[in-house]
Amino acid sequence: MSSNKSLDDSSEETIGNGRWDPLRTAGRWSFHLKAHLLVLLIVIVAEAIGTLEYSVGPGAVVIIPMLYAVVFGMLLSYRALGAYITQLRQVAPKEVSVISSPMIIVCLMPLGVKYGTLVAPSFWEIVGAGPAFLLQELGNLGTIFVALPIALLLGLKREAIGAAVSIAREPTLGIITDLYGPDSPEGIGVLGTYLTGTLLGTLFFGLLGGLAPLTGIHPLALSMACGIGSASMMTACSASLAQVVTAVPEEQVLSFAATSNLLTGLTGVYVVLFVAVPLINKLYAIMSTVIGGGQ
Amino acid sequence: MERTAFVLNALKMMVVVGIIILVGNQVGYGVSIVAALPGMVMIIAIGLVSLVLAQEIPLKLPAFAYAIFIATLLALPFSPTQDIFLQFTDRINFLATATPILAYAGLSISLQMDRLKQVGWKLVLVAIFVFFGTFFGSAIVAHIVLSLQGII
Repeated sequence: MSSNKSLDDSSEETIGNGRWDPLRTAGRWSFHLKAHLLVLLIVIVAEAIGTLEYSVGPGAVVIIPMLYAVVFGMLLSYRALGAYITQLRQVAPKEVSVISSPMIIVCLMPLGVKYGTLVAPSFWEIVGAGPAFLLQELGNLGTIFVALPIALLLGLKREAIGAAVSIAREPTLGIITDLYGPDSPEGIGVLGTYLTGTLLGTLFFGLLGGLAPLTGIHPLALSMACGIGSASMMTACSASLAQVVTAVPEEQVLSFAATSNLLTGLTGVYVVLFVAVPLINKLYAIMSTVIGGGQ
Repeated sequence: MERTAFVLNALKMMVVVGIIILVGNQVGYGVSIVAALPGMVMIIAIGLVSLVLAQEIPLKLPAFAYAIFIATLLALPFSPTQDIFLQFTDRINFLATATPILAYAGLSISLQMDRLKQVGWKLVLVAIFVFFGTFFGSAIVAHIVLSLQGII
């Protein structure tokens, strides 16, 4: 489907087409040493700072170490501060970023195992909440009703369809690009949401997880909502939520989020393809005559 | 990359990741590297198997899903492995496993800089509303269904 170097947990590409090639160490030891030592340094600094929490009523602004890590990583890379500081570009050349991309997938394995150890002991609670788990997947369609009118009010045309159809992780990016083409307005719209998620999603959901209890929605429901199809966004969201919530044990917040995320991963493609795309096209036809003044 | 080369490189990278996590786990959560080592060996083994399964099984499932699935099986209440598996993996804080992912993710974003420049502020703003809509759409539906079920 997509040829994009992913920031997320999608393994659509196979061994053959070069996705894993940056992980070869033969003859590339110095680049690997730079990449992994830099990450080690970022991790040490981020963990040394630790989790910061500022209470806001029943919620809190929670800043967990992974949020520092993503910001430090962005700043240190070759197109950010590295573009201005030559010495930094020698420490973190483009090859460091190239190696980092498939390393994300490898690095997700320990998190996956930890989530397994959290999900399993809550097994019976999760089975009991089965109907809620399945139906809240349809709640992801809420984006269409919120974001489509906004997009039209901003004056967007068919871009609005790609941008508002879903939170657009790799599977949605693939579907919309396949359906409309990468250079179509819809394709540019979906790319916009995908890249915004890549750049800001973890920070956004990290903050939202801590503040969401302010709405009065039950923590278990919020835990499920954290599973929106990206492991890093889900982790930031549920970790912050677990930090501020006392009514539900931490393990249960994390396990419900992980289960919902897994379910989104399994059902997301079908919901987007068979429900979200037809629905947003219908709504676009209606709303664009009212808000956007027709096509 | 052929199969043996893939397995070998994946193992090397899993070990690198394991070391980074063990250090972060010590710095951030005060668990000594030695105490956390046996759990990390289990995690590396499961991770390697998951990476290989994702390549070999033509289901297009991400390796992450296999890792969750295998660990879940080992940790289920009725699994004979539950006690020993949880006893060792509990020594590795789950947030410590998330921090390095985001460090690599941050470093790799530079690769997307050209594409990012194509995206105007309007699309970024719409994306923010997409985040809100997706999250609260799910949260509201879940809240209603959990209430109807009498769970909350």
